[in-house]
Amino acid sequence: MSASTETGSPAGKTWKSKEEFLGCVILTDWILLVILFAVLLGSFHIHYMLLAGDWDFWIDFKDRRMWPTVAPIVAMCFAAASQSFFWTRFRLPIGATTVVLALLVGEWINRYDNFWGWTFFPINLVFPSALIPMGFWLDIVLMISGSWLITAVVGGLGWGLLFYPINWPVLAQYHQAAEIDGVLLTLADLIGFNYVRTGTPEYIRMVERGTLRTFGKDVVPVAAFFSGFISMLVYFLWWNMGKWFSTTKYLEIEEV
Amino acid sequence: MKSLNIQSMAKCVTARAVRLWIFGLAVAGAITTLPAATPAAAHGERSQQAFLRMRTLNWYDVKWSKTELNVNDEMELTGKVHVFSGWPQAVAKPGESFLNVGEPGPVLIRKSAYVGEVPVPRTFSMDVGKDYEYKIVLKARRQGRYHVHVQINVKDGGPIVGPGQWITIKGDMKDFTNPVTLLEGSTIDLETYGITWTYIYHFFWMAAAAAWILYWFMTKGIIVRYWQVKAGKGAELIGQDEKRIGAITLAAVLLAVVVFYAAANKEFPRTLPMQAGLLTGISPIDEPRSTVAVQFKGGSYTVPGRELRIRVKVANNGKEPVRLGEFTSAGLRFLNPEVFTTRPDFPDYLLADRGLSVSDPNPIAPGETRDLEVIVQDARFDIERLSDLAYDTDSQFGGLLFFFSPSGERQKAEVGGPVIPRFQAGAAL
Ligand SMILES: [Cu+2]
Repeated sequence: MSASTETGSPAGKTWKSKEEFLGCVILTDWILLVILFAVLLGSFHIHYMLLAGDWDFWIDFKDRRMWPTVAPIVAMCFAAASQSFFWTRFRLPIGATTVVLALLVGEWINRYDNFWGWTFFPINLVFPSALIPMGFWLDIVLMISGSWLITAVVGGLGWGLLFYPINWPVLAQYHQAAEIDGVLLTLADLIGFNYVRTGTPEYIRMVERGTLRTFGKDVVPVAAFFSGFISMLVYFLWWNMGKWFSTTKYLEIEEV
Repeated sequence: MKSLNIQSMAKCVTARAVRLWIFGLAVAGAITTLPAATPAAAHGERSQQAFLRMRTLNWYDVKWSKTELNVNDEMELTGKVHVFSGWPQAVAKPGESFLNVGEPGPVLIRKSAYVGEVPVPRTFSMDVGKDYEYKIVLKARRQGRYHVHVQINVKDGGPIVGPGQWITIKGDMKDFTNPVTLLEGSTIDLETYGITWTYIYHFFWMAAAAAWILYWFMTKGIIVRYWQVKAGKGAELIGQDEKRIGAITLAAVLLAVVVFYAAANKEFPRTLPMQAGLLTGISPIDEPRSTVAVQFKGGSYTVPGRELRIRVKVANNGKEPVRLGEFTSAGLRFLNPEVFTTRPDFPDYLLADRGLSVSDPNPIAPGETRDLEVIVQDARFDIERLSDLAYDTDSQFGGLLFFFSPSGERQKAEVGGPVIPRFQAGAAL
């Protein structure tokens, strides 16, 4: 890391040398990064599990309508807030990427340790939704445009549209069909049926429920556009939420 | 289902601890565990209210074809269920039900499930007052000793747990396979299918995100940028060079998305959406009308004595004399030892083989109508918390009575109604 001298901060009084001062800054940076990552991981994980919950837990909930609608919208909350924090305070184009990476690290620990390690659900039943390319998209749109308004509109729409295509490379294999006892099932349905979940009966799935059916079998684009539009609104709201929280006024220190 | 016994837990912990610790950051793990599902930790059936267990589904003829299996062996869990006519108002009717298994995680997988002749991988509809026959084919997956229940989940009613049996599985889960033949003809092992690729795909993107974050962190870090933004020089932090790096990265990301997507479509040209929808019109058991009619005339429950006393008027409309042999409710079986001379094969915790007596033990002759007092008394009534009936909002009991003729024919009659709790020992009916 190259901390530049152009900031002109006081290096003479408390620190013996400039090197010691810079070393201190770098160390604090690392501590900050780790703490920020852990805090974002914990809070976003709780938020996402409460709101996206079963849609993210189980392969047989990942349908073409409800999942691509719900998952991006609820993920947008923390992405927008985190961008607001990282961008306005630090001009760092990593807000959305950091927060989705934190979420996925948390989810993978949870799925591997709890779902597989303790309860023996196979990973192909319980892997989380992919979100990372959406994080890149949102961060780089903000970085290039420099405008949170443009990010809300362009970034928000892309956020919703990208979700299904970036999950499809993993999902496609589980949408091959099989005939089981004379019943047509996809592998996703079958995994859910085979691997017994005592507390998750089949009827709580919401497979392609909804009213918007004008577009025939093209269910995903409709859901994705809808999700994108709502993501825009969520972005406006949570960008300001993030701004509201990214303040040091709660800490009574004169200079940070 | 309390089968995560200490021994197997300890074994499991030592073997896995190392791997799990390496994988999981302790702090993050603790945080992430909070909202996680912890399935099958509790022995659920006792915690449900007594009236709900007695007056929703009456389980009978439950059989486990094996109690000892090796990994990959199959067994059948079969039985019948009577949907109680006096289904409580507080619980949604079983219009949307799912045939399930109560077990601590998928230690046995469900290969097939049938109600009547109909396969039920999905939710189905049942009618109040009818009886249904079910069959679940289970395949042993994980070694250990587990309590395995039949269970039906009712939408807006919750899980209704049937009788449970201890099942011992020998071998090693590593050897477990779950072969499935796809519609296009090839056979895969669903136990591991696609998992490696799922890891690769996810960790590829996560590594890319980490690289992006570290790149920006390593150039100027966090604090220095804060100072610079505060000094009004924020615009300098993201100049043309930075934007170019961003544009190139974004182009690479989008290209990767397109390539992955196209590759998936090429590899799996024929995919279907998930299959869902309610299965209706499943036929109940086709059986002749019972020749024994039972009318409930009142009853009481003595809390200290764990004794349920009910008065019934029994009419025998059949051709043979009958005797009352069994009362079953909430999966418990109370047997009349005068009728059951040998002990049937059934889990001990639910079988009170001397739990039923009748005021008049003489057989009821064909055409005869008789008033009977039926006494159900056993510690199991209390252990399974059916005595909590006295504390339910809807203090009505329910269950099935089985009458037997000398030729061995069985007649079934539903019984149920309000019972008055007696809190002192020796109180009269
Ligand atoms: Cu149990």
